[in-house]
Amino acid sequence: MPNNPKAVDVVIVGIGAVGGIMAKQLASAGLEVVGLERGPMAEFEDYASKDTIRSITRRNFDERVRHEPISVRQREGAPSAKRFTSTPVNAVGGGLAIWTGSATRFMPDDFRVDSNEMQAGVADKARADLTGYEIRDWPISYDDLEPYYERFEWEMGVSGDAEANPFAGPRKKGYPLPPLRQGARNELFGDACARLGYHAHPTPNGILSEAYQPPAPYDTRIQERPACVYCGQCNNYGCHVQAKLSSAWTSVPVAFETGNFDLRTNSKVFRIETGPDGRATGVSYFDPDGNVVEQRAKVVIVASYIYEASRLLLLSGKGKRGLANSSGQVGRRITAHGDVRYTGIFDDYIVNGFIGPNSGMRMDDFNGNNFDHAGVGFIRGGTIGTSGGGTPLERYDAIPPGWPRWGEAYKEYLAKYYTRQADVTSHPETLPHRENYIDLDPRFKDEWGIPLPRTTFAFHQNEHKMWAFLGEIEQQILREAGASEVWGFPTNRASRWAGGTVMGDDASDSVVNGYCQSHDVDNLFVVGASVFPTMTGYAATPTVCALAYRTSEYILGASGLF
Amino acid sequence: MTTISFVPVALTRRQAALVEAAAARIFPTTDTPGATEAGVVNYVDRALAEAYPGLLSLYRSGCRALAGESKRRYGVDFLKATPDQQDDLLTAFEAGRVDGFPKAKEFFGTLRDHTMEGVLGEPAYGGNRDLVGWRIVGFPGHQYGYEEAYINKVVDLEPKAVDRPYPTKEAWNA
Repeated sequence: MPNNPKAVDVVIVGIGAVGGIMAKQLASAGLEVVGLERGPMAEFEDYASKDTIRSITRRNFDERVRHEPISVRQREGAPSAKRFTSTPVNAVGGGLAIWTGSATRFMPDDFRVDSNEMQAGVADKARADLTGYEIRDWPISYDDLEPYYERFEWEMGVSGDAEANPFAGPRKKGYPLPPLRQGARNELFGDACARLGYHAHPTPNGILSEAYQPPAPYDTRIQERPACVYCGQCNNYGCHVQAKLSSAWTSVPVAFETGNFDLRTNSKVFRIETGPDGRATGVSYFDPDGNVVEQRAKVVIVASYIYEASRLLLLSGKGKRGLANSSGQVGRRITAHGDVRYTGIFDDYIVNGFIGPNSGMRMDDFNGNNFDHAGVGFIRGGTIGTSGGGTPLERYDAIPPGWPRWGEAYKEYLAKYYTRQADVTSHPETLPHRENYIDLDPRFKDEWGIPLPRTTFAFHQNEHKMWAFLGEIEQQILREAGASEVWGFPTNRASRWAGGTVMGDDASDSVVNGYCQSHDVDNLFVVGASVFPTMTGYAATPTVCALAYRTSEYILGASGLF
Repeated sequence: MTTISFVPVALTRRQAALVEAAAARIFPTTDTPGATEAGVVNYVDRALAEAYPGLLSLYRSGCRALAGESKRRYGVDFLKATPDQQDDLLTAFEAGRVDGFPKAKEFFGTLRDHTMEGVLGEPAYGGNRDLVGWRIVGFPGHQYGYEEAYINKVVDLEPKAVDRPYPTKEAWNA
């Protein structure tokens, strides 16, 4: 190694939602923490760009995205293709730099799909064909995470109404802030749901409805931030007033203040190093000049998006299986939502969908195990809500089928209906399936010569039946809201990934335990959506942040690590 | 006949004229401005030079095919064809029904997307001149925020584009 910086207590790979919180928690307790982030600092001007060509049309041209391709294929044996994906943002803050803000806790039943659906007979009653699926309970429960959800909501600032969703789990405290102001599409959705007997509610949102700084006993070192101004550019954009939470302006500045946090950007970790006893000794990375540097540490935390979490374990260790993989489960059990989106146009109602927030209202009447599945042919479900970016470059293709896509009639359509349309989207839960996994691509490498993470992924029968069902509900809501035309489809596109290093009590069948600690390597932690044994109908952010707080506490209390 | 009023950097003047004429059918000038007034060809030329150089060959062959097909069907250059003839030609490209040019559909789809980017994108990229695209559809551009929710109400704000360096709130609202 050309240089060998001194050993530190903790090295964290990836400074996104999880890495930021863990850096703050561990550095505040006096541990010396090095953060290695493969991307740059999130430059405020870049992310809060108010530039739809850049943020929407050319998002995959972004240099940060170009550096980190993945490869994809739909089934084993098929050739893979290289793909650029902007989900893991590759900058400090990670996905939080451009997320939508939707911040719902998982429901208590989301943690026990095996007990509920499989053992208690829901699947039989539903007459669901679950061939190929690998369903297991989480080793932890909603109650285990509840105090950490609370800490996330009160430290980072979440706006919501704790009474509004009858399907939400019990909570000791409400949200620190009232819900965001609701725009017209949310009024349409909310009123239609009420008439249909569904329980619409404002989406709990990681966007401040009022200026906010955490009160004691939460971390009062986190700076005050202003309220949302409803500019409407949440999803795929940075927040120009910093009302939307990101590590870059919550946890990371506090970690710096401790004096114990050394953040190295543009530093690409490619291997976890191990000693003769099999324990982790640190990581090796390429520094910004391309030099290989080894950073030794007593504890290694992988806090990456799921592609990198699996890839890094597979690249490390002595044998062909990689590190922390005696179970053979690294890369397995990956899931992703395949959103189903319907759009409606309104002849006599101006929606102005470009006004924020993007994620305004939703309902969970058909999420998880909240409804009677008798005979529906599938288990689980998805949250259904308003969605959709509202800028013209995100909407010019929102045209009812059969209508002209160019020419004078198209122009008239856009002029009338651009301001008069609304989307309803569901996030259907995808169950882990044995044919879906991540491994190392044998052919494609990145610019450092490291094999790309290859996803082998397709949606299967349970998802397809669920999509049709949720799609019917979405159309019903839009029609009830008064749409003159409704159209849409399952996007068949995977987003909001989870899995690959799943948690479990059984070391022969999972990668980490309920504290995100490797079964095989006790000083190695993997924290993020990659540990979810099953996904839910929600986005992962609050849960990965809750896991980050909980794992930090566990590391500080564990014996033998330092 | 179209004359191009700027010096293209990626396209030839001839190709630029063809792109402008085709874009004018995709998003025509009516009682409101269209692709021509928005400066779509300016946007496309810069995009090909800066962001999409890999698509230049598609434009080259597409322009050739457009001109060739017009000559073959109507005996006139595309630039001299009537709007109806131009529409019929573009419809054939859209459907992929152009003998000897298997990329007709891809070319049309690309040209349509780029036309809309040029109409509805930020003027800093060369199109949407005077924010004509945003005015037509009713998008007020990049407002600092919205002080009211405008529920079932026209947003009667003067559209704004925001240039770098990124402005302060005061400069934004000035």
